[in-house]
Amino acid sequence: MAAIFRPGANLAAKLGLIGSAALVLAGIGWWWGYPRTDYRRNDNWVVDQVVPFSHQHHVGGLGLDCRFCHIEIENAASGSMPPTHVCMTCHSQIWTNAKILAPVRDSLAQNKPLVWNRVTNLPDYVFFNHSIHISKGVGCSECHGAVDRMDLTYKAKDMEMTFCIDCHVNPGPRLRPADQIYNTEWQRTPETPSPKALMAQYHIPSRDLIDCSVCHR
Amino acid sequence: MRSRQWRCIEELENNPAFVERAAQEFPMLAEALAGARSSEQSRRQVLRLFGAALAMGGLGGCFAGEPSGVLIPAVHVPPGLVPGQPNHYATAHVHAGYALGTVVTHQMDRPIKVEGNPNHPSSLGATDPFAQAAVLSFYDPAREAQVMGHGEPSDRQHLLTAVAAAREQAVTSKGEGFRLLTGTVTSETMAAQIDRLLKTYPAARWHQWEPFNRDSALKGAQIAYGRAVDVLPKLDAADVVLGIDSDLIDGAPGWVRFARDYSGRRNPTRTKNMSRVYAIEPAPTLLGSVADNRFVAGPKALHDAVTALAAGLLQGAPAGSPLPWVQPVIDDLKAAHGRAFIHAGPGQPAELHALVHAMNEALGGRGSTYDLIEPVAHDPQLQNESLAALVADMHAGRVKTLVIIDSNPAFTAPASRGFNEALQHVGPSFALAREPDETTRAVAWAAPMTHEWESWDDARGHDGTATILQPQALPLYGGLSPVEMVALFAGPFPGAALALVQETWKGALGQDFTQAWHDALAAGVVPNTASAKSDAKLLAGAASTKLPDAPAGISILFRPDPSLWDGRYANNSWLQELPRPLNKLTWDNPLMIPPGLAKTLKLGNGDLVELSAGDGRLTVPVWMQPGQAEDVVVAWCGNGRRVAEGAGHGAGVDYYPLTAARATATVTKAKGHYRLASTIHHNLLFPNIDHIVKHTTLPAFRARPDFAKSEPKPEIYHRKPPGPAAWAMSVDLNACIGCNACVIACQAENNIPTVGKEQVEMEREMQWLRIDRYYEGTVEQPETYFQPMLCMHCEKAPCELVCPVGATVHDSEGLNVMVYNRCIGTRFCSNNCPYKVRHFNFYDYGGQQRRPAVSWNPDVSVRARGVMEKCSYCLQRIAAARIAADRENRPVGPQEVRTACQAACPTQAFTFGDKSNPDSDVAKRKQSPLDYELLEDQHTHPRTTYEALVRNPNPAITGTPA
Repeated sequence: MAAIFRPGANLAAKLGLIGSAALVLAGIGWWWGYPRTDYRRNDNWVVDQVVPFSHQHHVGGLGLDCRFCHIEIENAASGSMPPTHVCMTCHSQIWTNAKILAPVRDSLAQNKPLVWNRVTNLPDYVFFNHSIHISKGVGCSECHGAVDRMDLTYKAKDMEMTFCIDCHVNPGPRLRPADQIYNTEWQRTPETPSPKALMAQYHIPSRDLIDCSVCHR
Repeated sequence: MRSRQWRCIEELENNPAFVERAAQEFPMLAEALAGARSSEQSRRQVLRLFGAALAMGGLGGCFAGEPSGVLIPAVHVPPGLVPGQPNHYATAHVHAGYALGTVVTHQMDRPIKVEGNPNHPSSLGATDPFAQAAVLSFYDPAREAQVMGHGEPSDRQHLLTAVAAAREQAVTSKGEGFRLLTGTVTSETMAAQIDRLLKTYPAARWHQWEPFNRDSALKGAQIAYGRAVDVLPKLDAADVVLGIDSDLIDGAPGWVRFARDYSGRRNPTRTKNMSRVYAIEPAPTLLGSVADNRFVAGPKALHDAVTALAAGLLQGAPAGSPLPWVQPVIDDLKAAHGRAFIHAGPGQPAELHALVHAMNEALGGRGSTYDLIEPVAHDPQLQNESLAALVADMHAGRVKTLVIIDSNPAFTAPASRGFNEALQHVGPSFALAREPDETTRAVAWAAPMTHEWESWDDARGHDGTATILQPQALPLYGGLSPVEMVALFAGPFPGAALALVQETWKGALGQDFTQAWHDALAAGVVPNTASAKSDAKLLAGAASTKLPDAPAGISILFRPDPSLWDGRYANNSWLQELPRPLNKLTWDNPLMIPPGLAKTLKLGNGDLVELSAGDGRLTVPVWMQPGQAEDVVVAWCGNGRRVAEGAGHGAGVDYYPLTAARATATVTKAKGHYRLASTIHHNLLFPNIDHIVKHTTLPAFRARPDFAKSEPKPEIYHRKPPGPAAWAMSVDLNACIGCNACVIACQAENNIPTVGKEQVEMEREMQWLRIDRYYEGTVEQPETYFQPMLCMHCEKAPCELVCPVGATVHDSEGLNVMVYNRCIGTRFCSNNCPYKVRHFNFYDYGGQQRRPAVSWNPDVSVRARGVMEKCSYCLQRIAAARIAADRENRPVGPQEVRTACQAACPTQAFTFGDKSNPDSDVAKRKQSPLDYELLEDQHTHPRTTYEALVRNPNPAITGTPA
């Protein structure tokens, strides 16, 4: 009786085995890697908005303070977008006929709010409070990146749990003097107080910052 | 020797099926598995379901939860709005006409929670369950209704045209045939509009109708004083209180305040002079349940007892009563001259109320333990007669125009009065209602009414103090306010409700109106508006009032449902699913029968009976109520709504058709059984344990104040948590009256979903806080104990040891926290919890609620399917206090964190705080000799401890304590 398999079958079998092993590995790799991609995390990806607002122009160019638009952020738990009224503080005077600003003018005229797409979003079971971070010396750019250089706004940091925990374990290196909170270009210099000194200045830690109950309720 | 504590009759009787079921952590699962053992088919079914659950669980895990969504800023920011920071606005919850001062918490200008207003005399910072549940009613989509004209959808313009036509007719006829029907009115603005209407149309008449009115009290005052007066109890000054079928702490206007005053005299470690409470009653009330001596007395016995009491107190004659306890009660009351108070409930006849007035005067309490004040309600009427007169006139065709405001007579009027038939003979009829109901279906024109948070009005509390109700939001579903509706009929529309309310208070608020107006709004009370003391003199004949003879046979008593009142809250699922204080029933209102009658008729809970009273006949399920007189059955009205588009749809039985009889009833066994969802046997602690509620009598307490404590045992564990605070709670069992305000407060604060009747039957109710009710003694005359149960936050928590994924862990401040996003739903923790305070979310209950997303508390996770949840000690409030303190670089203040249950509690039974801070209330309460740990033999070292119960029964009645 003739052999069922010809010698070439060995190769096919080997290739098949290697191929399936590769497929499994690739699958695991995908399963592990995909959630960590910028694409999946929406990191560094510009989000389309109703008005192509440029932080680069307003903050970097004109030098507006963060709080000019993001009002009450030093007292507020959640961040907020500026009300139409704030946009129109200036744009009732300048660029009054710019086509690009038509949605803003319509919003005010029709008393209909603008609808912005979220750039950063934490899961619902995370309760982040802006006011406490600001009052404890965490600058805007620690989480939001160099917003003043963004033509169109995107998420600059991954904001995964490790990102939060790293800082909660050792806040010192990420703190800055209180007058530099809103400076998105701030860098540590030799004159900056040491992390330890800043921790002492801000009374950190007043409690265990890696308790689950600090962020999750 | 302590006797056994039991929750339900089956437990007392050691029913074997019950004992076996109670031993299971998840009885419904045990039943399914038992079925699986008995049949191959279902065994496969169970395996199939297990396999499917595993696979689905895996698939479910793949869903990553896209970060998505939009941000919508306002066009103009309202002043004072800080994103994520709450705002608070004072107003009041108006219940049956009377105001309970509240402060509404807003997030982003949306009302999400109600707290009591400390400035308001009816509240003093506490609330009742109804006020707490107002949030859910406010957002209830069932309120969305349009104007209906002759059964067809219509609009406001057509309604206004019809109103104008009716007004014109009233003008020509001088109001002949024009009738207005409202509930009890305490609003000055409303009263002004009604007065204006009656002045414009002199022949018009105003009728009032509350199904659970206080007619007998009003009539009693007329007999005793010849005029209407209100009684204002001051329980903080009363050494001896006697309640005769009294609703003093479970329904009377001002009961929240009375409960506070009562509780101030109940804990012997904090008051030198503990009060003594007697109750004589046919069916258990809350006052009776917490009384030191409670006497079960059917109508006959109660008649005899009160006659004997009156003889003893008013004529000085010896009681001569066959009831041995009457004389000691008389002696005790007399000994407490000037410090005694007697209160009778609205279910008792007017003559009895008159006698109580006479006895109170004779006991010298007027001015000290109670005051007589001018009536708080505007133009109080005998409402039973008022409605009867209206219906008679309607039948006779004398009613040309009928305007019904916030009243539902088509449901609540006794059937014999034939309100619905009479409506056929009326000209145009108008109804203004919170939501579509029986009356809006029956009338010609129905208009949606604004919620009390959507319009300007005012209302008075139990002592007459006025509150201006300020709108908390623009109307969600449109509608007219009651004041506007009356104003529309009274004449050309004089302006918006705001102008009408300001007009009312212009005089009272003095010179600087703008400032005074803002102050009154901010404080939630208008200063110096309490009713004046009445100088009414007791009439000579009052003391010799003769009580009407008690009916023979079985009497039927009609009571408002403890959660739904007269039915107005039937569409509120929080209240429907709120276990009623004594029998823990949800979603239903079976007939309460005494256990002896149940034995005679061989009835068990849920068995059907034929109930007939007068001409009415109903087939209803029964519930055996321990401590109820043998010649009495009790029907809770309010459920069984025929027209209810929300939670009330299809729930319960309607007893109103029988209410005309108000007399005797016959009960015969019928075929069949009805499934009742009572949580009475859910979450049992160890069966047959006898010291869950530790209690003693006052003399025994004085002999050994720390009776509840046991010898401290040596510890090998070091258990000092490292954090800057040690959160802890103390619950005073002397204060708890079982009123359930805390349960609803917790539900509102912590986004707790309702699950529905079927799920409650499967023991899947989700309330994080429950009040266990224990009985001790016989079914005929048990002692009743209430014990609030919530997560104990054990320092050695058994739940944490068995969690395979670390989803329940301790934080550094001693909180036992649930990390929902870690939980995989093994339920081991619940199985290992000796206190049975963990609740598993079997379905996506949160996602299935009929409420808009904006109504949830944004500071608390809405839990998903498949996670365990439990009391967090209001972690969100702790977090807010931590953040506020850290921002100012100071420690959290000793009284800075108040949990939702603590804030709502009328009796201040809960105390919460940092026990490591000696200035905190909780640290002080933990020093109480009464302080004890529940199930301390489990060595869990709970952070929640209880203050043991001390009662002060009369030794002349109970004998010397053992």
